[in-house]
Amino acid sequence: MRIQVVLQQLASGMLRSLWIFILTLVFSLPLGLIVSFGRMSKNVVLRTIVKIYISIMRGTPLMLQLLVVYFGPYYLFGMSIGGNYRFTAIIIGFSVNYAAYFAEIYRSGIESMPAGQYEAAQLLGYSKSSTFFRIILPQVMKRILPSITNEVITLVKDTSLAFSLAYAEMFTIAKQIAASQTSFVPFIAAGVFYYIFNLVVALIMERIEKSMSYYR
Amino acid sequence: MNRKLVCAVTVSAVVFSMAGTVMAADNGLAEDGKFVVGFDAEYPPYGYKDDNGEYTGFDLELAQGVADLEGWELVKTPIDWDSKDMELNSGAIDCIWNGFTMTGREDDYTWSVPYVDNSQVIVVSKDSGITDLAGLSGKIVGVQAASAALTLLEDPEGQKDLADTFAQLQQFPDYNTAFTELQAGSIDALAMDVGVAKYQVSSRDGFVILDEALNSEQYAIGFKKGNTALRDIVDADLQKLVDNGTFDKLAEKYDLTEFVTLGRGTEGTTEKATE
Repeated sequence: MRIQVVLQQLASGMLRSLWIFILTLVFSLPLGLIVSFGRMSKNVVLRTIVKIYISIMRGTPLMLQLLVVYFGPYYLFGMSIGGNYRFTAIIIGFSVNYAAYFAEIYRSGIESMPAGQYEAAQLLGYSKSSTFFRIILPQVMKRILPSITNEVITLVKDTSLAFSLAYAEMFTIAKQIAASQTSFVPFIAAGVFYYIFNLVVALIMERIEKSMSYYR
Repeated sequence: MNRKLVCAVTVSAVVFSMAGTVMAADNGLAEDGKFVVGFDAEYPPYGYKDDNGEYTGFDLELAQGVADLEGWELVKTPIDWDSKDMELNSGAIDCIWNGFTMTGREDDYTWSVPYVDNSQVIVVSKDSGITDLAGLSGKIVGVQAASAALTLLEDPEGQKDLADTFAQLQQFPDYNTAFTELQAGSIDALAMDVGVAKYQVSSRDGFVILDEALNSEQYAIGFKKGNTALRDIVDADLQKLVDNGTFDKLAEKYDLTEFVTLGRGTEGTTEKATE
């Protein structure tokens, strides 16, 4: 196999990894915020449920969660799966898992805000929701961005777990090429691809951090 | 924001994301015109990525032949070999067609006619000094996880006695990793199917296949247990491919002529897979 073909193959795999990456962030970032509200709720029942959810998501392997999401409908309800559900299951599995981690990051940020700000906002006549969205959340974002960057970079590498659901993302393709060519080179190429991907992610996150560094 | 509203939104979001798992799907068979074949894409010469990056191999070309005869669209789905039963039972794939050993698994699937005579062999490096199975005593032997070779080495009626003489039986996800370890000297020998062994030995330097084989067994196409309807169609089509010469041509192309059992007189073709 020529090196161009290898790179082209890996690039197509990268695109498939990229889809997982983007869709997971699109769903898990907002979902994480909602989960963090549940986690901080005064309602004991809700708080406990969310606590259990986070505990399970963080306490079991993501690969197992993906298998459960995909094969669960068949083994639990006897439903036949197939067609496009494979990719849907991957996105659900990743999003639900990452939302749990993001929720705790949001919570760390929200709970670090001094109570005096809420009191001041109340005195100035802000409603509860505008206090949160206009005053608290922007500051929270600034504080938690480095932790978010950590998770996002981990997500790039975690996309390789999608092969447990037979989704041929980049690392799977690298393994397949390595097998048919009986060579180690595709792995090195895959490593370079991941590194560049993460480098771009890190640069973007750094830029966002910079743009948020007002009032410092 | 109203706290109760927030609670409601949270709960419904969680419920909806769970409910999303319940989805309509096709009913498994090739009714919708798609013939979904599950295979291990790291298993040359039966299924692998060719030099153009397309999935190909002896088994996949046969599957293509069947699909062409029936007017189906062949969907080549590379699967995680460890999950093959879940993939098949859940209806995500229609069959496992990839150098799939029938011997020892007769009762677990609905099988096509066996089409390849396979044997499990041992590969060692040339300068290892190992020349027969007895020489493996005290050595570290590698094998693919969930493979027929592993089943054989763990079966008391198979080669478990031999395996007990090994220092260790090491499992690998794929043969490429295993060969790298063999090359690096961290394992002494590898157990695998002879067809795969031939491909690997011919594309790498310094390895030999031991003359003494672990067993002999047969390859067939595995369908979900009870799915005889699809099995019968594929069986009939396989016979057509044998009759029109396609089968032999493919066997020659992938250097498997000495192993295939269909299309050479009556032996092999008359014997139906046990249910």
